[in-house]
Amino acid sequence: MRRLLKVVHLGRSPYAEVLELQRNLCRQRADGLQPDDLLLLVEHDPVFTLGRGTRPGSLPVPAEALHARGAALYEVERGGDVTFHGPGQLVGYPIIDLTMHREDLHWYLRELESVLIESLGLLGVRGERSQGRTGVWVGDRKIASIGVHVKRWVTLHGFALNVSTDLTWFDLIVPCGLPGVRMTAVAAEGGAPSTVDAVRAIVAPVFARRFGLAPILTEAGTLRPCAAVPGA
Amino acid sequence: MATKVVMEALSPTMEEGRVVEWKKQEGDTVAVGDVLADVETDKAVMELVARAGGTLLKHIVAAGATVPVSDPVAIIGEPGEAVDGGAPAEKPAADAKPAPAPPAPPAEPPSEQPAGAKRAGREGETGASASPGAPAPTAEQPAAPVTERPAPAAPAAAAPAPPQGGRVKASPLARKIAAERGLDLQGVAGSGPAGRIVQRDLDGLERKAPPAAAPSPAAPAAPAFQPSGSGEPFEDVPLTQIRKTIAKRLAQSLGPIPTFYLTSEIDMERVADAREALNALGQGKVSFNDITIKAVALALKQHRACNAWWQDDHIRYWNDVHVGMAVAIPEGLITPVIRYADQKSLRQIAAEAKELAGRARERKLTPEEYTGATFSVSNLGMLDIEEFTAIINPPEAGILAIGRMAERAVVHGGAVEVRRRMRVTMSCDHRVIDGATGAEFLKTLKAMLENPLALVW
Repeated sequence: MRRLLKVVHLGRSPYAEVLELQRNLCRQRADGLQPDDLLLLVEHDPVFTLGRGTRPGSLPVPAEALHARGAALYEVERGGDVTFHGPGQLVGYPIIDLTMHREDLHWYLRELESVLIESLGLLGVRGERSQGRTGVWVGDRKIASIGVHVKRWVTLHGFALNVSTDLTWFDLIVPCGLPGVRMTAVAAEGGAPSTVDAVRAIVAPVFARRFGLAPILTEAGTLRPCAAVPGA
Repeated sequence: MATKVVMEALSPTMEEGRVVEWKKQEGDTVAVGDVLADVETDKAVMELVARAGGTLLKHIVAAGATVPVSDPVAIIGEPGEAVDGGAPAEKPAADAKPAPAPPAPPAEPPSEQPAGAKRAGREGETGASASPGAPAPTAEQPAAPVTERPAPAAPAAAAPAPPQGGRVKASPLARKIAAERGLDLQGVAGSGPAGRIVQRDLDGLERKAPPAAAPSPAAPAAPAFQPSGSGEPFEDVPLTQIRKTIAKRLAQSLGPIPTFYLTSEIDMERVADAREALNALGQGKVSFNDITIKAVALALKQHRACNAWWQDDHIRYWNDVHVGMAVAIPEGLITPVIRYADQKSLRQIAAEAKELAGRARERKLTPEEYTGATFSVSNLGMLDIEEFTAIINPPEAGILAIGRMAERAVVHGGAVEVRRRMRVTMSCDHRVIDGATGAEFLKTLKAMLENPLALVW
């Protein structure tokens, strides 16, 4: 039996709006008001986010300097350190009920890595894990970041895969709190296609297969909460 | 009686977790299911939920601290209750002292957890435990008051290795690895908190001397029997992908699905006449199968209870009708789907069924063309099968097995007549469809086929 994965393309959306949406969907999923697992796919306007693992010093420049470059700044509940989202980066927010899969946070993180590594393979980029450093790497360069939050075994936040990202944004921070880390992107590694839309079309089915779900494309507007069991 | 709250394993491979933030402060009242703290492991943050109610008497560790799995992080009890047996991390000697007062029972979660609380506090959680309101637009203070993890090297001095034969402090993962690799943990210097042996301490350890090899069994006697002829008693054929999928899905079906069967014999005289007339129009051929699919779709529209998916924790009743049509192909079978079959004309269904079956045989269907059916039909009439039972294709709740149309002697209007008849058998998932529900659907289907004008009504 295959359960569904509702894949929602949010296009280019502001961070705050999507944050609110994923928090609501997560709560509804845990309350049984969203019958299916969800994968929100989005490209953000420039924004820096601070996870719960943020070390002092990971954000060496004052907030004003970020605002001056047109980037917003948010502090959020996910795990991990500071990171950047912006144009040219595919961000995925899976709202997955882990009680239907495995109640195992490390397993979930490794599965996300597998999804990204498999997707990168299809783009001709060889992504790898790096022991103890969650995320996906191409050699010693980091191409995708992962940070999740889990409430009542339902996930929110997720992954960010650099496709054609302007990597100079990362120069403003210590990405993921790893001093000296170099960031990279699909385009910079010679992968193709290297547009967010094209990569999105690859990541969604790979994700669905990895989690044993049948993907269906769904409009955000149809995600109203509903009782799971209708009358006969 | 005070209860210790321990660092829970949020993953079998989790050895320690970091308390990111206390959501309940000392003195706060807590109910079962309340979120006590956020805990980080790797790059994931999850809530630590109260398994007992009362008053949060003490934070054993401060926010930012990293704590081994199963070690206590807080104490919940009655207001004013004396707190002891608190912090082994702070006073490792406590282990040795006989406990003066009965120490808090090694509490714990599994046993006290109500059966339904697998997802702890599904109902109980307070509305918004995420950072309230709008995200903070400033950056001077990254939220987490970060404390460094305890330096891993020191504990050799702080916690001397246990004496030979004593209890070995080791993480569950380290124990598992040691067992798998046959390692002896006695005397290993632990680099984890409080001298605990963790995974990294096992690198480079030698296996225990293997037990003396068992005497090798005597060489087997020469076979008394030589195979005859070309020799091979059987041929092993590897499973093709489709064979594997069929096996998996059919076993899924007959195993857990409580199936029952309903058979009905339908008079096909009028349908046969109507089909003849339709085909005489010369605008494409319509088969009995096409007509049956159309009738099934219309009957399902009237009996939504049979147009449904079993979803483990819920039933999904479909409003539209998508009929899966089993097609035999050389490698096995596949079930392309005629979508919105209830809304399509007979001619559309005939054309689509033919086209899908053709591409199915050429293995050219895309996945979305053979998934998502709400009900299926399987027809073995062309192979002269009178009647049979079909296996449900989960998560669908029903499938109709269609036998051949045959001339049979039946009593009709008080006289024995030879009439064309067809037997259909519906397999029903009893978790979704009850006997009478399925029977009513079949009755509608029979009425439609016996009066085919209903198909265009």
